Amino acid sequence: MAKKKSFVKKSERKISKALSKSVAKKEKEGPKEIAARIKEVARGIVKDIESGRNPRFKTKQRGRGNVLFDEKLGIIKLGDKDTTRTFLNIAHARKFLQTMLVMSKTYEYLTNNKTASIREVYYELKHTIGNTKENTFEDQRESDACIVDLEHSIDTIREKLNVHANPKGTLYGDITLVDRQHHNDTFNCLKLGRGGWSIMSRIEPHEIEIKKVNAKYVLVIETSAMYERLVEEDFARKNKAILVGTGGQAARGTRRLIHRLHFEHKLPVYVFTDGDPYGWYIYSVIKQGSMALAAHSRLLACPEAKYIGMTLEDVEDYGLQNVTEKMKPGDIKRAKELLAYEWFKNKPWQKELKKALQLKIRIEQQALANKSLEFVAKEYLPKKIKNREFLP
Amino acid sequence: MEGELKKEIITGEKLAKEFKEHSVAEFFKKNRQMLGLYGKVRTLTTVVHEYITNSLDACEEARILPEIEVKIDELGPEYYQITVKDNGPGLTKETVGKALGKLLAGTKFHRLVQMRGQQGIGASGCTMLSQMTTGKAIKVISGTGKGKAFACEITIDPKRNEPKIENMRDLDRNFRGLMIQARFKGVLYRESVMGPLEYIRRTAIANPHAKITFRSPKGEKIVFNRTSTYIPKPPKAMKPHPAGITVDDVVTMAHHTKAKKVSSFLKNDFERIGDTALEKIQKLVSFDLNKDPKKLTWGEAEQIVSAFRKIKFLAPSADGLRPIGEERIRKSLESIVQPEYVVTLTRPPKVYAGGYPFQVEIGIAYGGKAGISTNGNNRTQSEEQGVKVEIMRFANRAPLLFDAGNCAITKAVHSIDWKRYGVRDLENTPLTIFVNFISVHVPYTGAGKQAIADEDEVMEELRLALMVCARKTARYISAKRAEIERRMKRDMFYKYIPEIAEALSKITKKDKEKIAKKLEWLVLTKLKLEKKEEKSSKELKVEGKDSKKVAKGEEKIAEKSR
Repeated sequence: MAKKKSFVKKSERKISKALSKSVAKKEKEGPKEIAARIKEVARGIVKDIESGRNPRFKTKQRGRGNVLFDEKLGIIKLGDKDTTRTFLNIAHARKFLQTMLVMSKTYEYLTNNKTASIREVYYELKHTIGNTKENTFEDQRESDACIVDLEHSIDTIREKLNVHANPKGTLYGDITLVDRQHHNDTFNCLKLGRGGWSIMSRIEPHEIEIKKVNAKYVLVIETSAMYERLVEEDFARKNKAILVGTGGQAARGTRRLIHRLHFEHKLPVYVFTDGDPYGWYIYSVIKQGSMALAAHSRLLACPEAKYIGMTLEDVEDYGLQNVTEKMKPGDIKRAKELLAYEWFKNKPWQKELKKALQLKIRIEQQALANKSLEFVAKEYLPKKIKNREFLP
Repeated sequence: MEGELKKEIITGEKLAKEFKEHSVAEFFKKNRQMLGLYGKVRTLTTVVHEYITNSLDACEEARILPEIEVKIDELGPEYYQITVKDNGPGLTKETVGKALGKLLAGTKFHRLVQMRGQQGIGASGCTMLSQMTTGKAIKVISGTGKGKAFACEITIDPKRNEPKIENMRDLDRNFRGLMIQARFKGVLYRESVMGPLEYIRRTAIANPHAKITFRSPKGEKIVFNRTSTYIPKPPKAMKPHPAGITVDDVVTMAHHTKAKKVSSFLKNDFERIGDTALEKIQKLVSFDLNKDPKKLTWGEAEQIVSAFRKIKFLAPSADGLRPIGEERIRKSLESIVQPEYVVTLTRPPKVYAGGYPFQVEIGIAYGGKAGISTNGNNRTQSEEQGVKVEIMRFANRAPLLFDAGNCAITKAVHSIDWKRYGVRDLENTPLTIFVNFISVHVPYTGAGKQAIADEDEVMEELRLALMVCARKTARYISAKRAEIERRMKRDMFYKYIPEIAEALSKITKKDKEKIAKKLEWLVLTKLKLEKKEEKSSKELKVEGKDSKKVAKGEEKIAEKSR
């Protein structure tokens, strides 16, 4: 368990009580509860049919119009706007069928203790309808959309539906996990060689149990090159850190794991990305959640996460001017968008973004190698963490 | 001088003689085009036309319900034999020669009578054509039903334009009717829109009282049954109306009249000329109307015609017009075209060019087997692909198969905004548009007599009649389209039901069949509701727009004929 050390501030370990409470409630829901909820929805639809009403499937409206930022909880949330899909509507009928198929399939997974990737769901359900030439699904995007609809309809995440997307991300550090779905394998992630542990898509407590953690914080790293560098420099052992490599935008499983480490083990989360709009957004997704999965922020976001770098201040402090790169038109556009997001509307970030837009430069994590290969592990990170040089 | 003159006269006489000797054959060769004898397919169709119209006209005059059998045999390349048999009054030994062996012997010329056979060469022309192309005589069997029938072979003496009857013999049976068998070379049988079969089909449609049987060269037997037992009244000969007459007409008529004075000639030989009109004419001409009409000069005739133009006459009587009738066209189209829906209209008589009465009849057939199938004849009821619009033109019940582009009927059909009537793409819609133009004087555009001139009044009347029918058709089409759409919607919902029922049943453990049944019921209930809404809103729209337009058209026409 985490121990107090001078450079980890006490306040960082304090987690928003309101969020904690609702997270805890959500976390308790296992396959049985979720299956029961699907059944409830199906019963409602059958009841509609039996009483001669147009059967309807209700889910949350997604899209920007129903996405909002909850300042109190510090997460991106979905509003209360609902959307209804009815069968007796030419435009909805096919989608209605697809939703029913996905509902029935996930119900089957949950009751039979099976799990599947979203691609497997697609292939399992794809077939020709009756004696027509029409397929139930033409494209995985169609079934993916239905899975998202179902997640939102019964207010859960797909991982709890026993369905998952492609895994991505690695974990390294003194943490002991138990795979309860696979012979109760127990392993310490410091002992898996340099590759670390490949983070699975589903990190639900009933599947992966976090048995023991011996670390002071979680360090999330955007690029795999930097992750490998820090493993090689034995950063985790030397600093009692847990390293999480996201390999770009963090996958759901990775976010879920970071979330759990933060909420279950009260570990501060520090995010280390490239100093560019893409990296900043990766950070914001880990911290506040994403717009696409606004409804799931409670189970994915870490509002107390902090940003280590790269920052434009680093460029000045370490004299990295000659290893910066020019911002491309796409970068500039994205930076302007970030500038307008509510969760970037605090002084330090506004200052950082405006500065970037003014200088039109970006700085990569690897640019630190300009100093020396060990520089990032020996000086940059320890110093920044010790001095609490974070962006909020 | 005298010698020269004499020489000239001799030469002139000689020329005249030569002309006479060759006249008939030359006339034929030089005027094949005018006579409708160009094109191998068209020539055969023209021959069929001549025989059938003769039979129909003869039966009509004799008040007999016609039964006509036409048979075409292929004897060799571009070599055919046509056999036409009817149950008409038949010809006698005395009349058979003149009817089938003397050109231009018919009585239809120079008479204002609504007749089918105003165009073409006549049955004698066919005899001539046969003789010219094969060297063979035509074979005839005829009987009047009283006494023995007879058989003979007929050719025409081209020098004298006189019939040559050979092999005349009595037959040992009682037969009423006429059978002609003739052979032709340089012709071609095709089952195209310009071929004999299509000609017969259309003739059958416009003559619902006739039963016509056709045997094609392929040996197929096609029977067009009669759908009416009403024999049209023979048309009445009409005197010319002063408004439409030319100077030449007046001179010719004056020289042939039985009247002793110009005044009585005008009164007796023209329609709508009474004493009041005569007084007015007398005031407008510089000579005395008591003059002998035989001595009427060209100049005087010119004066009379210009007086005609200044005086208002009553419109000509339409007594001579013989429409088919709405109900009879409907039955005929239903029987022969076999559409899903038919609307027919016989308009009241109107007048064009100031003096010629005419009348328009329309039939619009939609769906089913209406229209021309472009991919064989096997098509399903609702299928609209592979079907083209069919425009059937008739002049006094006789089909017009050629020169469609120049015809007022075709122009009128295309001038209508069919989209307003629910026909999105006229060319590719299963529609058969039947138009019969009736007049004692059909304004043909050319000598081929296959296209009606687009006189203002004719066009206006055709358009109006078409619009009235199209409006009724539109209602059917939109109702049908709505029905098809409803059926498609139902099928679309239905195909998803089994899977939905199964999915829900798997989760809830409720009976799959029950869920499916209830869902089907829901779909039907919903579609029925939609049906009601569509019907009321669409009908109102069409009704409102069109009645205004029709009323406008009526006014316009009324103004013109005033």
